[in-house]
Amino acid sequence: MHSIQNEAGFVQLINDNKGIIIKICNAYCQNKNDREDLAQEMIYQLWRSGKQYNPEQRFSTWMYRVALNVAISFYRKRKKDIDVIALDENKPELENVADSVTDTEENLTRLQTCIHELKELERAIMILYLESNSYREIAEITGISETNVATRISRIKEKIKEKISDKT
Amino acid sequence: MEDLELKNIWLAYGKQLADAEILNRQSWALNLRCFESIQQQKAATKLDSLSKFKTGAVILGAVWVLFLLFLVWGNQFENPFFSVSVGFIALFSVYAIVVYIQHILLIRNIRYDGNIIDTQKELSRLQSSTINSTRILWLQMPFYSTFFWHSKWILSMGLKFWLIPFPVSLLFTLFAIYLYKNITLKNINKPWIRAFMMSGPEYKNVIESAAFLQEIEEFRKDLV
Repeated sequence: MHSIQNEAGFVQLINDNKGIIIKICNAYCQNKNDREDLAQEMIYQLWRSGKQYNPEQRFSTWMYRVALNVAISFYRKRKKDIDVIALDENKPELENVADSVTDTEENLTRLQTCIHELKELERAIMILYLESNSYREIAEITGISETNVATRISRIKEKIKEKISDKT
Repeated sequence: MEDLELKNIWLAYGKQLADAEILNRQSWALNLRCFESIQQQKAATKLDSLSKFKTGAVILGAVWVLFLLFLVWGNQFENPFFSVSVGFIALFSVYAIVVYIQHILLIRNIRYDGNIIDTQKELSRLQSSTINSTRILWLQMPFYSTFFWHSKWILSMGLKFWLIPFPVSLLFTLFAIYLYKNITLKNINKPWIRAFMMSGPEYKNVIESAAFLQEIEEFRKDLV
């Protein structure tokens, strides 16, 4: 485990967890420039908050907290200015993946559209769920009870499934 | 679509990101010093409409207080009613400005490593804190009805003083206390409260933050 307090350790930890940052940025921003701004702000806040990081705490839990808090605040600040851009016009960071549109890609686009339509707090819960965090971890990161997490996830999933089936 | 399918799509997403080597070619990848400097520059130069409003309010408030202190100093306690009233108006203004600056600083230095609900609640509470400065400012209202009082004037008015100016000031005092108690986030959507709030981007921010606070409270409640 690298130390978050020294620069090299921090850079390594961010490198190891860049996927989380990109996925959260994609979930909260549809515009490429906004995504880059958000990523910068997230890394800056992680670096700033690193001094208060308690090594007894799981790094991922701490990172999700900071990253999602920054993303929600950023989204709320920018919400007024962001025009709704169709996802197809601004596909999040997958431009070079494949030339042909595969089923998985199509499903992913649908899933992302559904996630974008969720309220910011529900969006956080869904990302945490899809990232395979346990209900206990999600409760710890969000600050709501495990029962609440379970009920909310089940409702969000229903909503997403309905939307995806409607579109197929 | 089953649960597993949803998770599989998400997993495939992670794999696609890795395969495309996006994770290794991000333009923002890991130049900490550069990030620090960009963020500091942003903080120093990027004045959005809200920041401009806040800075403007603090500057205007400071000029206003200086003007009031100049008046008190010029009066040299010749008329105690004037000095005390204007002194109190200045005091409330200073207090409101201090609360305002304190909240701006707290917003800028908020810690993001708390749980999402508590952090967002604190952030929204601070963003809506203009309401506190506004309600404090209303407390100075009674002094606007007493600064022109003068002992000679009171004596010359006799009974009339106790029938007109005094009850008016008393009413102002009661109304100010009433507003102080009632201008709260809970009452923000009542039209009569809106009438006593400031307008502009700051007010919009208060309304939006209050709505988000309400959303957070709803979110925290266990669903049945």
